[in-house]
Amino acid sequence: MSSSVSSQHDQVLVEENSFARILTLNRPKQLNALSFQMISRLLELFLAYEEDPNVKLVILKGKGRAFCAGGDVVAVVHDIWAGGWRAGANFFMKEFSLNYLMATYSKPQVSILNGIVMGGGNGVSMHGRFRVATENSVFAMPETALGLFPDVGASYFLSRLPGFFGEYVGLTGARLDGAEMLACGLATHFVPSAKLPMVEAALCDADSSDPVIISSIIDQYCEKPSLKEQTVYNRLDVIDRCFSQRTVEEILSALEREVVDQRDGWIFATIQTLKKASPTSLKISLRSIRVGRVQGVGACLAREYRMVCHVMRGEFSKDFFEGCRAMLLDKDKNPKWEPSKLEHIADTTIDRYFSKVKDEDWEDLKPPTRSKFNLPPYVIAKL
Amino acid sequence: MDRAFERTKILTDHLLQSSPSPVRTSLSSNACFNYTPPELSEKYAFDTKEMRRLIDGHHLEVRDRLFGMMSQSKLFNPRVRGGKVFVSPDYNQPMEQQREITLKRIDYLFDRGSFKGWLTEQGEEIELRKFASFEVFGTFDHSMGTMLAVHFFLWGGAVQVFGTKHHHDKWLRDTETHVVKGCFAMSELGHGSNVRGVETVTTYDSNTQEFVINTPCESAQKFWIGGAANHATHAIVFSQLNINGSNQGVHAFIAQIRDADGYLCQNVRIADCGRKIGLNGVDNGRIWFDNVRVPRENLLNSVADVSADGKYLSSINDPDQRFAAFLAPLTIGRVSIATSTVYISKAGLTIAIRYALTRRAFSLKPNEPEVLLLDYPSYQRRLLPLLAKTYAMSFASHYLKKLFVKRTPQSYKTIHIFSSAFKATFTWNNLHILQECREACGGQGLRTENHVGQWKAEFDVQSTFEGDNNILMQQISKALLAEYVAAKKRKKAFKGLGLEHMNKPCPVIPSQLTSTALRSSQFQMDALCLRERDLLNRFAAEISHYQAKGPSKEHAFNMSYQIAEDLGRAFTDRSIFQAFAEAEATLAASSLKDVLGMVRSLYGLICVEDASFLRYGYLSVENAAAVRSEMTKVCGELRPHALALVSSFGIPDAFLSPIAFNWIDANSWSSIQH
Repeated sequence: MSSSVSSQHDQVLVEENSFARILTLNRPKQLNALSFQMISRLLELFLAYEEDPNVKLVILKGKGRAFCAGGDVVAVVHDIWAGGWRAGANFFMKEFSLNYLMATYSKPQVSILNGIVMGGGNGVSMHGRFRVATENSVFAMPETALGLFPDVGASYFLSRLPGFFGEYVGLTGARLDGAEMLACGLATHFVPSAKLPMVEAALCDADSSDPVIISSIIDQYCEKPSLKEQTVYNRLDVIDRCFSQRTVEEILSALEREVVDQRDGWIFATIQTLKKASPTSLKISLRSIRVGRVQGVGACLAREYRMVCHVMRGEFSKDFFEGCRAMLLDKDKNPKWEPSKLEHIADTTIDRYFSKVKDEDWEDLKPPTRSKFNLPPYVIAKL
Repeated sequence: MDRAFERTKILTDHLLQSSPSPVRTSLSSNACFNYTPPELSEKYAFDTKEMRRLIDGHHLEVRDRLFGMMSQSKLFNPRVRGGKVFVSPDYNQPMEQQREITLKRIDYLFDRGSFKGWLTEQGEEIELRKFASFEVFGTFDHSMGTMLAVHFFLWGGAVQVFGTKHHHDKWLRDTETHVVKGCFAMSELGHGSNVRGVETVTTYDSNTQEFVINTPCESAQKFWIGGAANHATHAIVFSQLNINGSNQGVHAFIAQIRDADGYLCQNVRIADCGRKIGLNGVDNGRIWFDNVRVPRENLLNSVADVSADGKYLSSINDPDQRFAAFLAPLTIGRVSIATSTVYISKAGLTIAIRYALTRRAFSLKPNEPEVLLLDYPSYQRRLLPLLAKTYAMSFASHYLKKLFVKRTPQSYKTIHIFSSAFKATFTWNNLHILQECREACGGQGLRTENHVGQWKAEFDVQSTFEGDNNILMQQISKALLAEYVAAKKRKKAFKGLGLEHMNKPCPVIPSQLTSTALRSSQFQMDALCLRERDLLNRFAAEISHYQAKGPSKEHAFNMSYQIAEDLGRAFTDRSIFQAFAEAEATLAASSLKDVLGMVRSLYGLICVEDASFLRYGYLSVENAAAVRSEMTKVCGELRPHALALVSSFGIPDAFLSPIAFNWIDANSWSSIQH
């Protein structure tokens, strides 16, 4: 019934069935980190499938123990060193365009998150209609530790989590398991990994793009996972109290007040994580999530594209390069952030990350136009 | 034949669609209405963020933060409709529940430091921040805004303004942290606008150094006291002060009405005002005082005091002036009502215009798509002038806020006049705008989830509280007359209230008005000034005519109410227009300025369309007709900018309603909980 049309060396494997296409991210050694080539290939495939009336559904998964650990940031940094920030901008332009296409896709995308799903990996899954978590799922948006900020449309999907959970997840880079992902809505379904082959087979037999039908098929294999005892999800009240504060400084002092009251290891660890992250990253991330809350997904991605260009140009801070050095290249895990303290960063500096990039022939992100497709209601609601 | 075929096809489609069978694949989507977001078809000719900065004028981040804080909490009743989250109170709940949840929401906002510095900090920044916050609170729920306004502006404001240092030290911090929940007991069953006539009486007992507050008769019961029925712990009580048998007029006292556990204090009786047509989240109550004793220092003594041995002392000898000083907190309330009501007009118009950009009705020819509601000229004529009016009100409200926060003792009268004029006019406009929006949304406008209809009930009270609109408007004409008399008597130039135009030669309206002239700010301003000047002359003449014949000046005012009304409106329209035109004039040439100029033209034309221009002959019949036809043209030209103009209001989607977005999906069979 199924026929494989790609070679084992391709970075994206394609499996064609009667109605479904199964795309497998295939760089297991790099935990399926998204290369420029993979992004281009995914974009090409998704565009073609949208036009193809025989395709009703797209399934995206990862080979090995990760779904996708993120964008291939090391490659991007090398590109920037070799060819200037424009080379990086090119990467993000392509990646964000793919994110937008997925967010506004007229056919359902089912992402099977059986393993690590971080950063750019969330960009190619969270915007799709269905996200299936398993007992192996590990979610995180760890960008603030890298001197970046939660991008790939995270200011859209994080800001829509309950209460101020999105601020917490985005600023601390906290890891969530499959049960927690389901509880907060990052995942739409939870299926034990043992049943994944059955889900795939059932989906391949479905001759429908109707999300209600697709959802009910996955439902048949779902289990109700229980949240672990120490789950952060039981801390929503503290999270809401602290992460609803106006500024990063106020969030930190709110957490510090809580620690005095409660002598709580988790709060203490949260404070430590925030103190280790890039101060500039924290500030632009908070602003991004807050602004994203009232923006459509296209506007979020366009804004994030401006921000990421400013980050790569390094005009106000070079934390992104320092973060990559410390975490990914030298791996000394001891980045020297500059500015080094939250109070050294003026609001006007933060404002500049959100402004147009002043550079000849730089252009705002122009995501693919979607008006010719009959977009489903769940997509219209995101615009 | 074509027509008959068409009808049959529609009916067939209709019947097939409504089949209860859940087989979705049989639904063909091209036969029926598809929702397309207006953003996909409408173009923005200017930067809507830039426009928002211009019309909001200040504290955009504060507004956005408050909007965000509310939309992220379960307390604000988030509901998913058509794939989007909307927050709004459930107005279908019983009164008791509405009151409880309103209080919980207020506590949530307190817990998150939303009111930090509201009473303990001073200056323009904090005052403007309060106004911005109220604009946002009201957009979520008028009950919540009103409860907070009572607590901060009326109770807190009274302590600030009438109290002296020891009152400030004792009460302001606890008010800011909500340890004390205040209310403002001014109105009585028998006396509302006429505050000087209140019948509550307070005497002084020098033996115990206490004041004794009493409700001597049923018409003296305090009525409509927001917060009193269930929650408030303390009240500002307005009462006649009787010292040794001589009445010193109305004074304000602090009385505790409940203890910290919420139990009523001795000798205080409270009853509920019951269910209202709206605003049921506010616990309006009635209070009777049966010889309630309060310590001597509970007299708010900034203008008058009673010594320990019972002597009345006041720095202001004139009881009229003394009384006027007591009404000061109502001014900030009026400014806040005027400015926040504009936000409701913005939200109502955003909902109605977004709906009109996605809902179609009737085809011009068979087999053609039906026409978008907003593409009908008559529809444009209904909604776009209201949009222009709302823009005008935004600029005027900004002017008023600035005037208020920069106040000096000398500007008190000016602020009183502008706040009265704008409070009355904006709240009336708002009700009118909401009614039109409700009708423009058809049946959908009637559903509580779509807000516009419900808001009519929720905001209706604005025309009454903090001063009945009609009475406020009468005060405008009286104040203008006083200026007139003063100028004529002393042969001095007019100065203040924007009346300087009276010193210039009378403007002349050309007999033939071209399109360019009609749209020009110059002509529009001339026409408005001409009307104001002439009506002021007429009013002065009519008053002196009646005064010569009649028993008193008051009688003369009562008799001249028709011109008084026209004059009040003439002053207000001119003031609003002036604020708009001045804001426009400050802008550098840009596409934003071009569009805003069109909006201003439309607003000017609506003003000049008023019947008074024909009634008093400021415009010839031909010119009046030209004004009308020019309006139609401007409406047509503004139509392409309608979406950008409402998007510029910056109200987050979550605070609008399902019909403003994908109303087809929001109403689909699958959206119902089966």
